Amino acid sequence: MNKWRQIVKTFTYSILMLCYVNSFAQNDKLNRAQQLLQTKNADLAKLAIDSVILHPETKSDFVSWTTRAYIYFEIYKRNDKQKLYSPLRDTIISSLIISNSLKPDETFTINNKKLLSNIAAGYFNLSKVLLMDSLNYKNSALAYSKFKEIFVLTEPGTNFNSRDIEYNLAVGSLYSDVFNKDNKNTEAQEIAKLTLLKVLDIQPENPSANINLGIMYYNQAVNLGKGLDYGADFSQIDVVQENIIKLAKQAEQFIIKVYKVDNKNLKAVEGLHSIYKMLNNKPKEDEFKKKCKELNIKID
Amino acid sequence: MLIFCAISLRFQQPSNYDTNSKFKAVFIYNFTRYFEWSEKKKADNFVIYVVGKNENLITELKTLASKKKVGNQDIEIKNSYAFDPGISSNITYLLSDVSKSIKEVTSLSKSKSTLVVCESPNACKAGSSINFVVVENKLKFEYSKNNAVKAGLKTNDDIKALAINIE
Repeated sequence: MNKWRQIVKTFTYSILMLCYVNSFAQNDKLNRAQQLLQTKNADLAKLAIDSVILHPETKSDFVSWTTRAYIYFEIYKRNDKQKLYSPLRDTIISSLIISNSLKPDETFTINNKKLLSNIAAGYFNLSKVLLMDSLNYKNSALAYSKFKEIFVLTEPGTNFNSRDIEYNLAVGSLYSDVFNKDNKNTEAQEIAKLTLLKVLDIQPENPSANINLGIMYYNQAVNLGKGLDYGADFSQIDVVQENIIKLAKQAEQFIIKVYKVDNKNLKAVEGLHSIYKMLNNKPKEDEFKKKCKELNIKID
Repeated sequence: MLIFCAISLRFQQPSNYDTNSKFKAVFIYNFTRYFEWSEKKKADNFVIYVVGKNENLITELKTLASKKKVGNQDIEIKNSYAFDPGISSNITYLLSDVSKSIKEVTSLSKSKSTLVVCESPNACKAGSSINFVVVENKLKFEYSKNNAVKAGLKTNDDIKALAINIE
């Protein structure tokens, strides 16, 4: 009997010892991963940390997840910063989200926030590069929306209205330029309209959006006139005139809003003069011609 | 953010292209399809004589002249700020700034096979064959067949259906 008791006792001790050693081994792996990270061996650190976050002893520890995020960040920095789709970046974000859900201490909370802010800033820069360098609105808009999604994790309740206005105005302005230079580029026109209207959804009186939309409609009307063949018959002239009037009236709606708020807005006064001239509205054209003179705006 | 800010404050520039001058040029070319000039006026260039100041219109007419013909005739654009009776033309276009000359010009153009076109109120009553008017923002034209006949032109009544008729 005593012999059996001894066997059971030894077995239990062995199991407990094994568990203890194993747990120690996991913590050791975590320490090793951290050391490898510090010595810039991120690839080896990655192997170590990936096993740490799977182990029951360490998978519920915020330290493991934050360490994992920082290890992945080291690898991400090398090649993936300019990529819109990066599994490394996705892993960093998901690791930080898990770490935050495990109620980290103050230091780790700050570190998590720092890294999330860095990732958010990366998305923001990417949205800029994709817009300015590649004129790729679809991807730029995606990067911008990811920026907001991540930024809000660091600053919950952030109001993005002013950033949205700036971003959409920038897109609208760039694509209006493209359309004005190439009036056959209807995709550019649609993007410009869409983004400028987004601005007006947030801030209906925004002068830049109203003026740029108005001028875009006006220039679209001009292009219709330019495209009219000299040999066009009376019925064709009538159709083109009809469309030009519609566009000029749409342009007027946007620009007049700015003028009503600020009757010395140079672009509004200049734009309205052009619109009334196009609409053959002589009294209004003369009224705004006078205002242009008063404000030293060069016309004709 | 600064770059976005700088771009977002940029304003587009309205085009300074004058669509009304383009329409007038296209209308004038259309008029040539509805009248017949004397044999003498078919011999040389088809002269469109603009009296008054409108640089955009002159530019448009010159572009028209470079692209189109009237029958076999080349189109030639002449311009002076005051009416010069010495200039022989197929079409004389009096701009609004010289509207006071309408009676003088129409009486001098009688039987000369010249189509007088104006853009002033009551110009057809003053003797012009065609007068541009604005109706609900649209450029249209009044037409006086009597004045065209008096000017020595053969007329095509199809134009009546397209115009605001004065008689």
